[in-house]
Amino acid sequence: MTWIAIRMLTGDRQKFFGLLFGVAFSTLLISQQLTIFINLLERGATAVYNIPTADIWVMDPVSRTPDVALPMPSTALDKVRSVNGVEWASPLLRSGATIRTPEGDLEGVTVVGVDDATLIGLPKTFIAGHREVLYEPDSVVIDSSGAAKLFPPGFDPIGVRLELNDRRAVIRGIVDVDPSFTSQVILYTRYSNALAYVPGTRNRMTFILANASDGLTAKQVGERITDATGLKARTRDEFARDGIDFIVENTGIPINFGITVALGFVVGVAIVGLTFSLFIRDNIKQFGALKAIGVTNAKIRLMVAAQALLVGLVGYGIGILLAAIFIALGSINSPDFKGFYTPWEIPVLTAFVVLTMIMITGWLALRSVLKMEPAEVFR
Amino acid sequence: MSDLKTAITLHKIVKEFSTGSQTIRVLHGIDAEIQSGELTYLVGESGSGKTTMISIIAGILYPTSGSVSVFGQDIYSLSDDDLVRFRLQNIGFIFQQYNLIPTLTAAENAAVPLVAAGMGRDQAVKKGEAMLDNLNIADQARKLPRQLSGGQQQRVAIARALVHEPRLVVCDEPTAALDAKSGRRVMDLLREVALAADRTVIIVTHDNRIFDLADRILMMEDGRITHDGKTLPDH
Amino acid sequence: MLKSITERLRGVSFVRTILPIMAIIAIIVTAFIVLSGQPDRSEEEPEISPPKATAAFGNADSVAGSGLVEPSSEVIDIGTSLAGIVTKVFVAPGDQVNAGAPLFLVDDRAIRAQIQEATASIARAKAARDTARALLATARQQSALYSGIEDERAVSKQEVIDRSGAVRTARAQLAQAEAEIRSADAARARATTDLNRLTVRAPITAEILSVNIRPGEYANPGGQQGGGSEPYMEIGTTDPLHIRIDIDENEIGRVQLGTDAVISPRGEANRRIQAQFVRAEPLVTPKTSLTNAATERVDVRVLQLIYRIPADQGLFVGQQIDAFVRAKTGENFSAEQAGDSQ
Repeated sequence: MTWIAIRMLTGDRQKFFGLLFGVAFSTLLISQQLTIFINLLERGATAVYNIPTADIWVMDPVSRTPDVALPMPSTALDKVRSVNGVEWASPLLRSGATIRTPEGDLEGVTVVGVDDATLIGLPKTFIAGHREVLYEPDSVVIDSSGAAKLFPPGFDPIGVRLELNDRRAVIRGIVDVDPSFTSQVILYTRYSNALAYVPGTRNRMTFILANASDGLTAKQVGERITDATGLKARTRDEFARDGIDFIVENTGIPINFGITVALGFVVGVAIVGLTFSLFIRDNIKQFGALKAIGVTNAKIRLMVAAQALLVGLVGYGIGILLAAIFIALGSINSPDFKGFYTPWEIPVLTAFVVLTMIMITGWLALRSVLKMEPAEVFR
Repeated sequence: MSDLKTAITLHKIVKEFSTGSQTIRVLHGIDAEIQSGELTYLVGESGSGKTTMISIIAGILYPTSGSVSVFGQDIYSLSDDDLVRFRLQNIGFIFQQYNLIPTLTAAENAAVPLVAAGMGRDQAVKKGEAMLDNLNIADQARKLPRQLSGGQQQRVAIARALVHEPRLVVCDEPTAALDAKSGRRVMDLLREVALAADRTVIIVTHDNRIFDLADRILMMEDGRITHDGKTLPDH
Repeated sequence: MLKSITERLRGVSFVRTILPIMAIIAIIVTAFIVLSGQPDRSEEEPEISPPKATAAFGNADSVAGSGLVEPSSEVIDIGTSLAGIVTKVFVAPGDQVNAGAPLFLVDDRAIRAQIQEATASIARAKAARDTARALLATARQQSALYSGIEDERAVSKQEVIDRSGAVRTARAQLAQAEAEIRSADAARARATTDLNRLTVRAPITAEILSVNIRPGEYANPGGQQGGGSEPYMEIGTTDPLHIRIDIDENEIGRVQLGTDAVISPRGEANRRIQAQFVRAEPLVTPKTSLTNAATERVDVRVLQLIYRIPADQGLFVGQQIDAFVRAKTGENFSAEQAGDSQ
């Protein structure tokens, strides 16, 4: 019986492709907007995820995100090291500064000072240079999107001298990190250098990165640190989450993208729903005849479900592929989309949304068929 | 025609439609018996209740009161699903507008009742083709309905009504959309192929061009049978 | 057979067969794109391992601190007692010197001139003494002549008085001359002492840690003038070396004084050196930061613990180290607190 349903559906190419377009378009719109939304939010977490080595971040109790943080006195590091269960702890400085480029432009940067001895806090991937360049005097490492922002395309920034708070800073490496929400240029340097680059305040150590000993979870050790030192300890994922929440609470992004996603859903439901209803209405006599001949409502439902599934499958396939390609190409080619990816949840979620959409429209269209008395075919 | 058997028994059929506060009584307690092996016509002006009557006989419209027995089965005492199954197995339908599925070929259209009953696609279509062959349009089996003439379409519809060999065939104005010649041909075929000893064929029509082919004519007026005979009453 | 295949192929519908297949392929491709594009958020071990408390004492509690390597004598800033141009530096950084060994020499020409002057004075005074002695002898002989005459009339009383007066004068002159000799001697002795003081010597047996004075530079008893007041020389006993560990004042209660500490040089966290407790400084001091910033203000106080490190660890004075000190174990910590509350 389902093959008859499919033949009924695909017989009218115009409506069929209209349906496909509707589903594909709303799939594309929903998944692409959701992806951009999620990725923008996750920009709040990049500062945390860019540091692969630490599973606990310790900070002043009032600190909220990697960029909204109050520095601590330097002995806090020893206090954290003294907590049983802390495998190691190392200091991290994050602070804003302004640099003067060789062209004389002013640019706000985030200076990240990593532990002098171990360089804990450096990102993993170097595009140019290597970790050890940081041991050279006045050496800084720039992030790739920051380099793209400061310098013209094709320019090799290695060896460029910058003026950082009247001090010399020489770019000696480029790291590959995802830009932060504000997409400020990030300069990595050693902690002792960073102290010199950043205007002096009493306390400078913004964070302490720590790791839990074997057999203990980051959460447990974080609680121990808080108990012992009174400092706030967040696990890596918690702190990433904090960064995201901060954006959610302080920007209009969720509402804007929420509206777009809702629009995508509404447009999808409208296009698909109208076309599907139109299609069913066109075939209402045939459905009536089938009902009279002896096709049960259950079978009619099955037929409409088969039609909806086919439209959903093909439309979703087209739409989701376009969305994935869009994001993948965007993240390769555009610095604005750098680090963007499609979280696997989004295609799944979109599939459910599309399924819901198609089921709702199918059900709406089906209602007229189910309600129809077979006797109406005799009129 | 000696082996006439009572196929359908109508007992005090009353049908009312309510439109808002008004209730219109369409059938006023009809008692009738229809035999198998006969071509029975149901004729009357529009609004006389003949369409309601055929719907009730065909098991697609519940009467307000009264009972219908088809081949000894009181069909309205069946559950909904059983009634649908009963229709699928025992009744063939021919509609005024043919109601063929426009995207299926003639053979596939003819095979629809078999498919609905659960038969595999290839086997069903083969049977549909055989049925079309019986109706002399085997050469049109691969064509879509819109590529066929009205007469051919109606023949496909007849094939669909007969393909699963039902014991009751109901036809609603089978010739209304056809010219006289085609209508005639269709009726000839219907008589030739459909009518069998154990099959009842009921035709609702007001097409007086084909009244001469009837074995029995039931005439309806205002929800009552006013005439029952081999021919129409002379006026 | 062949015909049936071609027939089937013709029977394949683009919309009903190929399109769904393409859709499934599209979904698979999407899944591939999406899954291969997931961000790498795995955690990993640091390339250079940081100091670890667990490595120091296993799972036992510990108190962490940072510290500096220093000589066991602490650093001695060498000064000079006399001002002057430095003419000679006897040692180089890294030299091992014994107590009393010369370190540098301040210009000694003036003092040497003083010595010569004093020597000349001595010679002159000695000559004067000789003269005085001769005069005294003469006076005595003349006086003896008169004392041998019994007859009072033979010599006048006047004469006798003159002669005896000459003897007293000569005696006084001799005494003066001798005093002058002593004075000149003393002057020479003082000059000689100053000459010695111009040579700055090591107060103890130690290693020269730094030399900030070169011949031709002016040395002042008050140390160098101006802002960059480096000591002229820093020395200290480097065998054994000590380390000075800063413990945050809030952690003082947790430290188990008297036990060993485990230290690692900065950047060499895998090296763990057992250090022996020496003493705790009685004074809790503001923490010195090593940022050298003039504006540095510190509100953190630290307890300084001194530990001895074994010889030949290849550590240098002034090197930063990370340290873990044993914390009071749960039992004696709580016992102590219970004692406090009683």
